Amino acid sequence: MTRMSVSDLLASSVGLWRWDVRHQTLSGDGRFAELYGLDRLDTANGLPAETLFASIHPEDRMRIRIAVAGVMHGVETLSREYRLPARDGSFRWVMINGRAERNGDGEIIQFEGVLTDITDRKRVEERLRVAQVAGGVGTFEYIQGFGTVSVSEQFCRMIGLTVTDEVALRAINAVLPPDSPPLIGGADDKVDGELPYREFHIVRPDTGERRWIARRGERRMDGPDGGPRIIGVVFDITAFKAVEDQLRSLTDTLQQRVAEQTRNRDRVWNNALDLMSVTTEDGVLRSVSPSWTTVLGYLPDEMEGRNYIEFVDPEHLEVSRAAMAEILDGADLDGFEIQFRCKDGGARWISWRTHREGELIYSYGRDVTEERARAEELSAAEDKLRQSQKMEALGQLTGGIAHDFNNMLTGVIGGLDLIQRRIGEGRLADLDRYMQAAVTSAQRAAGLTQRLLAFSRQQSLDPRPLDVNRLLKSLDDLLSRTLGEQVRLKVVADPDVWQAVSDSNQLESAILNLAINARDAMPGGGQLIIEARNVTLDEAYATRALDATPGDYVEICVTDTGHGMDAKTVSKAFEPFFTTKPIGQGTGLGLSMIYGFLRQTGGHAGIYSVPGEGTTVKMYLPRAIEPAEPAQVRPEQQAHRAGAGETVLVVEDEDSVRMLIVEALAELGYRALQASNGDGALVHIKSQTPIELLITDVGLPGLNGRQVAEIARKTRPDLPVLFVTGYAPNAAVRANFLDPGMEMISKPFAMGELGARVGAMLAERRAP
Amino acid sequence: MSGAFTILSELEHDALTELVNIGVSRAASSLRKMVGQHVTLSVPSVEVVTRKTAAALIRERESELLVAVRQDFEGAFFGRALLIFPLASSVELVRAVTGDVLSADEMKEMESEALAETGNVVINSCLATMANMLQKPLTMSLPQVIRGDGRLFFELEEMDTRGGVVLFLYINFSVGGWDIRGYIAMLMDLPSLDALKSLINEFIQRVIGPEGQSNEA
Repeated sequence: MTRMSVSDLLASSVGLWRWDVRHQTLSGDGRFAELYGLDRLDTANGLPAETLFASIHPEDRMRIRIAVAGVMHGVETLSREYRLPARDGSFRWVMINGRAERNGDGEIIQFEGVLTDITDRKRVEERLRVAQVAGGVGTFEYIQGFGTVSVSEQFCRMIGLTVTDEVALRAINAVLPPDSPPLIGGADDKVDGELPYREFHIVRPDTGERRWIARRGERRMDGPDGGPRIIGVVFDITAFKAVEDQLRSLTDTLQQRVAEQTRNRDRVWNNALDLMSVTTEDGVLRSVSPSWTTVLGYLPDEMEGRNYIEFVDPEHLEVSRAAMAEILDGADLDGFEIQFRCKDGGARWISWRTHREGELIYSYGRDVTEERARAEELSAAEDKLRQSQKMEALGQLTGGIAHDFNNMLTGVIGGLDLIQRRIGEGRLADLDRYMQAAVTSAQRAAGLTQRLLAFSRQQSLDPRPLDVNRLLKSLDDLLSRTLGEQVRLKVVADPDVWQAVSDSNQLESAILNLAINARDAMPGGGQLIIEARNVTLDEAYATRALDATPGDYVEICVTDTGHGMDAKTVSKAFEPFFTTKPIGQGTGLGLSMIYGFLRQTGGHAGIYSVPGEGTTVKMYLPRAIEPAEPAQVRPEQQAHRAGAGETVLVVEDEDSVRMLIVEALAELGYRALQASNGDGALVHIKSQTPIELLITDVGLPGLNGRQVAEIARKTRPDLPVLFVTGYAPNAAVRANFLDPGMEMISKPFAMGELGARVGAMLAERRAP
Repeated sequence: MSGAFTILSELEHDALTELVNIGVSRAASSLRKMVGQHVTLSVPSVEVVTRKTAAALIRERESELLVAVRQDFEGAFFGRALLIFPLASSVELVRAVTGDVLSADEMKEMESEALAETGNVVINSCLATMANMLQKPLTMSLPQVIRGDGRLFFELEEMDTRGGVVLFLYINFSVGGWDIRGYIAMLMDLPSLDALKSLINEFIQRVIGPEGQSNEA
């Protein structure tokens, strides 16, 4: 019997009917008539019994006939659903319920019942069924204590039971593993209200398949006798569980991979020697790597949570704060060195790189204490070296100096002696003269002592503006002594020479050193010229030929007429420990020290040498700009744009200089041919190519510039020649070989200057 | 119907269900007279299944030993009818049938008899009524009480030479307030089922005829 509560009956409007077996008539009330679409009055009065079946939907009619027949033959109750046509052409579902009362002989004395419109319920049921199927949900209803559970079709299909409306409770719970709580009717179901969500692992009795089923439900106290009634749903979550498992294993592997990666990163974090930390914007150390402990001695919990500034050496607090401000501004530090205090009171120099990401600052620090110490040691060693160089030079001078000193002392002692005798003799007339002589000698000795002391004093580089001329003049004395008799010294001081920036001690030492080198290069004697002049290195020349900064310089040249150096030696001359002197004579450090000190004071050095003729060493000292003096804007010498495309042959063995000249010429509108030596030049000269000008270095390997010019003039008598020389203008080595149409220009020269000379020479030629 | 082959059409199935319903109603009536108490028998469903499936259906629902009353029938169709109870239920049934006046020991003695008698009434009424409806005679053997499980009842051990089916019914009894559950199963071979089928169809035809012609037994 279909479960239909009293409330259901009352809720839906029911029609009443009665089947008179004897008279084979059917009668019903208004509602019944309405449901059947019959006339009210007729129905009340009674219609043929067949009427019950007449309008039933064809698909349902037989069933109902059979059911009624069943009642006729002994079945007590009638309970069936069928369809009747509705007014709008569609069908409505109705349910007929009836009871047959029988007398003692089994005859029906009464057969009557109700007819209910269950269209809505049917629809709901249909929807429910569809929903269950679509949603994979099965429903159940269980009255506690009963042996069976009311279930939906979907429920049976899901669990794997034969499809019935009622299933034995035992049958349902039998699909669970032995140790599982029951699906229905277990301890869970003893609570009122919503039942806890549960998952069950089942084995389907029909296929043996293992599935995961989830159950949700409610317990209400509205069962028979007000007892508990449990309604719920089950749904298959096997697929979901599979995904869950997959996800879990994926997560596990992911976790493993992440753990692996993290371990790797941890290894780096833990093993790196460099200090790594994570700080927040307020400077508080959130995390420090173990190396902090190794380097500074603090334990992590002594550092984490504290501000980094607490560990910075007090002297570096200012710069630290400033740096922090920069970081917050968005800058990344790189190579920022400050001292950190160690736990034991010591200090370490740390060079920091930082990177900010959002609120966190990641820092990476290298302990550079050793490096700095070494650098300082190196610096100290260099100083010592310089000092020893000085000493060496000093040593070289000592002989001569001692001799001079002796002379001066002799002058003093002699003078005093003479004075003593004269006083003894009572001859007081010339005492003044002798006294003066003695004083002069003493003063000269004192002066010399001062000079020596100043010279030997250990000082770090102290570049300041100095008067080059005065310095050179002051060295005159010392130089003469050093050079000896065989070498003629000439010091040329240009009165217009600018003030230069340099360390006077070092400069003196350098010049002295160069003088000694020069002397050694002229064993048979010769000439040494020291001159100073103003030069301007333009962009091109400075960067390419000299690797220096363009600008104004005071050039000091020390030129000798010694055996000179070949190109290879020149290229190595400034290298430390490079020496051409035999062992025992000189350390080979002189030139490298000079080069070093010049570079450190913003200057530069260069060598120009011709084997067999001599060498000039040039020191460029940056021009001192007087504060009062406005920066001189030197107007560039206007290059004459020839534009006529004259051909110029450039012969220069120094590649960088040659290229400079060639490019300058090209820019000025000339056509340039080039050669790096005399032979190459002659190829051009001997050819038919018209050449308007020859520019050649004097000191070429093999055929020198002079010779090239001579040969050229043989076939091209009017060829103008511009010689390029490394020697300073006053160097005696500058030969007087300039014939008409020949000129000389000294290196370094500005391109403008070159252009002007070239332009002038070509103009002259055109209009001789 | 899982595991069953649909040899009955929907209409035939409905008709058969109704026939069984009629039979069971009669059985209820008879039982009522016998025990003098209120008896209701419900017929939730009728299924035509293989013997193997029938055994599985029982196994599905019952885990304990079963008691059955067995009676063979022949006439218009051959077969074996079983009224099956789980052991506990059978005890309940006995208690209900004997009016709960006996002691445990006495009940034990009476058990087989009580069961046999009940079985006889139910099966007899059921089958006889059906036969009546189908307008065919049917004779029944004496009832036998057997204990075992589905395998035994549905003769799965035997070589299946006849390829039979089982009309399987799951019944809820209510006797004097006691809820008892059991199963009625009718084992038939295919020729018998065929015979039954044609009878059912005849019945259907008759029923289509004018209403209310009662064929009272």
